[in-house]
Amino acid sequence: MPLPPPQPPPTPRTPGVAGGRLFASLQLPPPLQSRSEVHVWYLLPDELNDASQLKMYMELLSPSERKTALSMNGEKLQKGAVLSRALVRTTLSRYTECKIDPRSFEFKKNKFGKPEILWQSDDVRMECPLHFNISHTSSLIACGITMGTPIGIDIEEKKRKTAKSILSLARRYFTPPEVDYLAKIPDPEAQQKEFIKLWTLKEAYVKALGRGFSGAPFNKFSIMLAAKNGIRISVDSNSSCDSLSENWQFALAELNSSHYMAACIEDDSRTSGSGNGQLSLGLKVWKTIPFVEDTLVSGTEAVKLIC
Amino acid sequence: MPRGARYARHRPNPRRSANFISQPTHRPCVAPLPPLQLLPMASITGSAVSFARPVKALNINSVSFSGLRKDNVAFPLQTAPQRFAVCCYAKKETVDKVCDIVKKQLALADEQEVCAASKFQDLGADSLDTVEIVMGLEEAFGISVEESSAQSIATVEDAANLIDDLVAAGKS
Repeated sequence: MPLPPPQPPPTPRTPGVAGGRLFASLQLPPPLQSRSEVHVWYLLPDELNDASQLKMYMELLSPSERKTALSMNGEKLQKGAVLSRALVRTTLSRYTECKIDPRSFEFKKNKFGKPEILWQSDDVRMECPLHFNISHTSSLIACGITMGTPIGIDIEEKKRKTAKSILSLARRYFTPPEVDYLAKIPDPEAQQKEFIKLWTLKEAYVKALGRGFSGAPFNKFSIMLAAKNGIRISVDSNSSCDSLSENWQFALAELNSSHYMAACIEDDSRTSGSGNGQLSLGLKVWKTIPFVEDTLVSGTEAVKLIC
Repeated sequence: MPRGARYARHRPNPRRSANFISQPTHRPCVAPLPPLQLLPMASITGSAVSFARPVKALNINSVSFSGLRKDNVAFPLQTAPQRFAVCCYAKKETVDKVCDIVKKQLALADEQEVCAASKFQDLGADSLDTVEIVMGLEEAFGISVEESSAQSIATVEDAANLIDDLVAAGKS
């Protein structure tokens, strides 16, 4: 989609480079309408090779983010780290109607290490808290965003090969019902794909919960994929993890024909007592080159909803 | 493609192309190393890895830590003492074996340096890599790593320290 005509730059919250592309407006997306809406913005690092563009993204980062990015081992990982932070910052800025400069955001970690926005006391969006989560592979980086509900998102290359066998990994980390489900699949490629789907769904749940891997061990909850019922989670009733909850909803999609993406948000309908089942999670997806081009891809071949 | 090979795994080329901002890719592995309580989770790619690195000290309550400490002092350090700070008490062969397993799992080029101080996240390990590495370590050393311990491993030497503790506990 072409960029709209330039608008007057938003008042910068921190001193920065004046004029030029740095204040080019980010295209505003439609606002998040409800708590069950998830917007995902993704970029493809292999498409972003322009040195001046990368330098511009680098300038959006905080000093400590820059330092961390440059401590990654090798150029490609460094670039991925810079693009991850640039994606988070520009995406968040869009959902404050660009009132908050991408460079202004500050982040903190919850006590388990999950990154969250550290809102300034005068921020307009404090009443409608934005939640975000990122995930990346070497070839695709995605940022999911919601309003008022924790979110977890995980992506994985569809064809990701594991060094260990699928069933040995499943036996070590998954639950018995999940192992059975995988063991029944005769074709190794199909089995590998189902493993990756389950993996991303389980990761998305753990990340949504925000309690870290050991706070929600993979072998204490089962994810079931069924064409009719969609995606269901059930927690091991014998487990000592009382804090694991089942009131979460999921979406699983094939992205860019190359990746599986799982998203997980809290299921409001169950906690509030209204409705007996899951509201369908409203998913919208954009492919982005921040400041250059945004393309709404949900509803096209680039986003194929699986469940 | 060999069974263990990684699909589309990029092999970082130390000879940089003209595209990215120039930064040295060779990072010498030197001390001093931070004490064993853990490094906070990197703010950047951390979200992609559900393993949070807690900021509290390493929890290995399945092992009698104080008892082992005393014994480990008797292990001769097989590398120059200045290279590792006091906190890395793992045997050199453990560290080397961990480096090997990590290099294989992440399909790193031979010239890529992996040493005790290397952080898994900086090497590009995502959550699936990490669990495979943990499984590889369990198989190689005949140990069993609990989720809470696995979560606390941030560097190669964290893993090596934990392995040596578990191996010693298994023998006693």
